[in-house]
Amino acid sequence: MTKPEPDLTLRADHAFLTLRGLKKHFGGAKALDGADLVVEAGSVHSLVGENGAGKSTLIKTLSGLIVPDAGEILVDGLPVTIAGVQHAESLGFRFIHQELSLVPYFTAVENAFIGRPYPRKGPFIDRAAMRRTIEETARSIAPDLPLDIPVGQMTTGQKQLVEIIRALIGAPARLIVMDEPTASLSDGEAARLHEAVKKMSDKGVAVIFISHRLDEVMQICDSFTVLRSGCTVGAGRIAETDRAGLVHLMSGREEVRGAAQMPAPDSPVVLRVRDVPYGSRGTQVSFDIRAGEILGLYGLVGAGRSSLMKLIWGAQPHAGGQIELDGKVLRAGRISDRIAKGAAYVPEDRRNEGLITSRSIADNLAVSQLPKVRHQAGMPWTSRRKMVERSEAVQSTLSVKMGSPWDGPLTLSGGNQQKLLFGRWFGQATRLLILDEPSRGVDVGAKAEIHALARRFAAQGAAVLMTTSDMDELMALSARVLVLASGEITAELTGDSLTPTRVIDAAFQHQTEKETQV
Amino acid sequence: MTTFVRRYGTLVALVAIIAAFSIASPQAFGTASNLINITQQMTLLAIVAIGATVVMAVGEFDLSTASVVSFGGIFSVFLFKLGVPAPLACLAVLAAAGVFGAVSGFIVARFEVLSFITTLAVGTIIGGITFWLSNGATLFGDIPAGFRDLARGKSFGIPILTFWLIGVAIMAWLVLDKIEIGRRLYAIGGNREAARLAGVRIVSNTMVAFIASAVLAALVGMLLTARIGSASPTGGGGFLLSAYAAVFLGMTAFREGEANVPGTLVGAAIIAVVGNGLTILGVSTFMQDIITGLIILAAVLVRRTGAQGR
Repeated sequence: MTKPEPDLTLRADHAFLTLRGLKKHFGGAKALDGADLVVEAGSVHSLVGENGAGKSTLIKTLSGLIVPDAGEILVDGLPVTIAGVQHAESLGFRFIHQELSLVPYFTAVENAFIGRPYPRKGPFIDRAAMRRTIEETARSIAPDLPLDIPVGQMTTGQKQLVEIIRALIGAPARLIVMDEPTASLSDGEAARLHEAVKKMSDKGVAVIFISHRLDEVMQICDSFTVLRSGCTVGAGRIAETDRAGLVHLMSGREEVRGAAQMPAPDSPVVLRVRDVPYGSRGTQVSFDIRAGEILGLYGLVGAGRSSLMKLIWGAQPHAGGQIELDGKVLRAGRISDRIAKGAAYVPEDRRNEGLITSRSIADNLAVSQLPKVRHQAGMPWTSRRKMVERSEAVQSTLSVKMGSPWDGPLTLSGGNQQKLLFGRWFGQATRLLILDEPSRGVDVGAKAEIHALARRFAAQGAAVLMTTSDMDELMALSARVLVLASGEITAELTGDSLTPTRVIDAAFQHQTEKETQV
Repeated sequence: MTTFVRRYGTLVALVAIIAAFSIASPQAFGTASNLINITQQMTLLAIVAIGATVVMAVGEFDLSTASVVSFGGIFSVFLFKLGVPAPLACLAVLAAAGVFGAVSGFIVARFEVLSFITTLAVGTIIGGITFWLSNGATLFGDIPAGFRDLARGKSFGIPILTFWLIGVAIMAWLVLDKIEIGRRLYAIGGNREAARLAGVRIVSNTMVAFIASAVLAALVGMLLTARIGSASPTGGGGFLLSAYAAVFLGMTAFREGEANVPGTLVGAAIIAVVGNGLTILGVSTFMQDIITGLIILAAVLVRRTGAQGR
């Protein structure tokens, strides 16, 4: 991909913060590959990009958690090397992460002072002075925030405001980075937060605002930077662009259709999901997958993809509706029932949800189908010989590079670890395969093999439900895509309408601006 | 070489300790009859420790163990005094213990309460029941001779208690290493969420582990009563810490970082040999405790530094 020349209309000489040509590699993966960012003092700057575009890595270079391999960071025009979290703090940088770091039993006042010097009266903490400080800050940002109740009793929006107040006390703040602050807020609460952001910017504090809600980006931000594949592909003033322009920059792909084929029209429905409520709003979803089809499920982080996958897998009970596999109703929250009926699952997080790292490769391959490695049918005696045979069969069928089957799974590379999770279903007549980020963190070669594997399952008549953040993977494997945003299906795309831009456009649709488009 | 040390280091340490005591006291310690005697002395501790091994295989703790040992002794004598025939009484004791274990396991697995807290509470309740049954007194009398023979005497020159240990150890080893449930238990202990998503039933399997632990503890309570001819409501007090010490010592042996039956036997043997040897050498009991504690620390530290050296 040739790097488009970013339109840096923001003049660096006005900027208090400039990042130029940042690069960062993790192993073979490029997280940042020439990222630029210019933020003017007191402005609200939007940082946008699809999943994995490099937003988090960029922010981590600012907070001192990551040292870039190349490129420079200028503050007030002077180059700095941010040596750590405390250095970032002393530069006036503050970070509000999506997972809030508040103590639920503490009040707003108590939370705001965690890690900051407490006012003292002799040897004792001066609680009155603490409260006065917070009251003063709160008055200008959020006057009606309750200061004396435990944060655990507050709404998410109020907690965000506490985080903002916390960021503003102590040494003077110059930049506040907010990572998806409105992701789980109601519209009313989001509006309150927008107000607080405006007030901060009026005080001369710059804000980097990361949001998937393009409506609010258009509404409250002054300027923007778009990242794609670790690279800045566009920057400018919000007033000079529109929503479609941002979506186009984020997607940036040739508008080609994917290579995947729809299954034959007469192939039977394998998975039937009807009126299953899920997500925080309890919206009901319904969809079918036919034999031989790889249905893609796309959504931004937090849209609820993984939880929908887990619901179908039975890892969480569904509260209503019906899930059928080959016409047989699946019992809510029963994984073993699904395995017996021919369902298989490859989880998103192979270290924490997939592999049992303290056990051997052979054990990991056998755990879901222990009756397959019995000495003789009907007796629960496990045969080590059959476990070895099974491992060797998986090794040759999926070309897993491994030493002894009794080694631990962490002795393998990421790609081979991922293949083990597929190998767990070896010997099952798989009817439904659920794939959650099937090739995350594996190298290019292993990715191609995993794609071939998914296609092989489909070719053998299985229905495949796949969710991925990787647009190229989605386009390569799926001929039909459901897009989730804020816990709802916002689009079903297939045929000519299935293009990266359409997918991203639907994924960035918030609740309030939803429209029907199939 | 390092693999050998990591794998068999604890076993080598046991042999070395036995050798050292044998040299220090060839007449008293290093005799066949004393070594056989040690297998008898370690039996009760080792059986409790095997129960703890099963619970640790699923990655949990059972702090109610000591209470269940005491309960096993008291409840059996209580039933004898009511005139319940011995076989029936034994079954009733084991069944009651199984219920306690099932309750703990269910609460831990179903509601995801820390096993530490759950079994502390359940153990406290069992302790209360035990004192209630016994009125706080040591119970003796009315214990059938046939029951006492479960833990007395020898057969083929080997103490009957030692046969109990051999039987329980083989059973537990088969369960944990040779049949499917063992693979499931270790999978849960290794990564509970991954095991669950792979289709392992967490609640029923965790309950099985806690039931096994409680039943073995109650068995030890009865064997203890059979051996000494009485039951005290605090008779099991000393078992909890020693049993877990044996399991931790055993986790440094044979398999890295996993509770396992052969390892637990070695761990229990180390504790028993050190106790026996130091007693023969005339070392006071408090000094024995200090030395046992230091051995456990040393074993764990050797393992830690070994693991870091990789």
